Amino acid sequence: MRRAAISLAMLCMASAASVGRAASPVQSYTADPPASRLDFIGIQAGAEFKGTFRKFTAAIDFSPDALASSHFDVQIDLNSLDTMDDDRDTTMRGPDIFDIAHFPASHYVTRSFTKTPAGYSAAGTLSLHGVTKEVPIDFVFVSTPGGAKLEGTAKLNRLEFGVGQGDWKSTESVKDVVKVAFSLILKPKA
Amino acid sequence: MPTQEPRTRFTAVAQLLHWIIATLIVTQFALAWTARDLPLGTHKLALLAWHKSFGMTVLMLAIIRVVWRRANPPPELPAGMTPFERTLARATHIAFYALLFAMPVTGWLMSSAKNYSVSWFGLFTWPDLIAQNKTAFEALKTTHDYLSGVLLVIAVFHILAALKHHFWNKDDVLLRMLPFTKSKRGS
Repeated sequence: MRRAAISLAMLCMASAASVGRAASPVQSYTADPPASRLDFIGIQAGAEFKGTFRKFTAAIDFSPDALASSHFDVQIDLNSLDTMDDDRDTTMRGPDIFDIAHFPASHYVTRSFTKTPAGYSAAGTLSLHGVTKEVPIDFVFVSTPGGAKLEGTAKLNRLEFGVGQGDWKSTESVKDVVKVAFSLILKPKA
Repeated sequence: MPTQEPRTRFTAVAQLLHWIIATLIVTQFALAWTARDLPLGTHKLALLAWHKSFGMTVLMLAIIRVVWRRANPPPELPAGMTPFERTLARATHIAFYALLFAMPVTGWLMSSAKNYSVSWFGLFTWPDLIAQNKTAFEALKTTHDYLSGVLLVIAVFHILAALKHHFWNKDDVLLRMLPFTKSKRGS
């Protein structure tokens, strides 16, 4: 009798756990374009300058309870860059920097997630300018009534991706390190 | 100190500020004219980085100079000058002081409007004064260019006037701003 009670209790716990898992499967979202931002911050002549990518798509499969099956896939249209200065935008699209004639897009995919004190950290790879390299991102994820909000940052060294040829290989005028900051308003995928 | 004689020369500090700022302004024209025709590249960015750092230096020195001038009034103009000459000299100096502020500030505004924030020799970054705005940038650039023309004209006038005082009137107007010289009594 007593053994049966224990078995029953264990069964209940097991089914509760499986119900728990079933209740929080990984949720698929897409970024709402006008409300979401994907910015980069470079350091030029000692001062930071911010640019933004106007066009990108983000397929975000994420659940705080299912990190193992979570996954980000972000496609960035490099031609959509905007630094509020046409001369600089044209130069950056050109052969010595992004070379968008040959590499029009950049692609970021995650491989795994870990919980951090402040939020989450993702390991993943960035493909840019024909080079694919590890770029971790740190982010916070907040559920909202209409979906979720994903905010985070990353840091990369532009020269590791060959972004900066000729004179631009020098880090005198434009530093190697570039920060990326994003704020995505996520809507559940229909 | 009421018993002090009226000053006949500029103070050493005033002389130092005058000549440092004069040297910086010559450098500013050289940098701006060199950078102007270059395509956007690392060379242009480097020249403009110097231009901005020197420009902000002029702004800071101009503030010190105005404060110093209020505490240490300059020597009187030579007695022989006509009222017209005095007005002209005064107008030139007022214009110079106005430009010592207007040039750096319009430059700073330009940089803010174009999203090229101003760093001071890479040591720190000045805050942007206005948000990015292409129309504002074009207007500010025109103003900055125009004022640089005005500055050039009055600088030439100022130099010619100083030489005229020295060689024609033979007074001490030039010498009293020159370090390591003695002013003859020129009034």
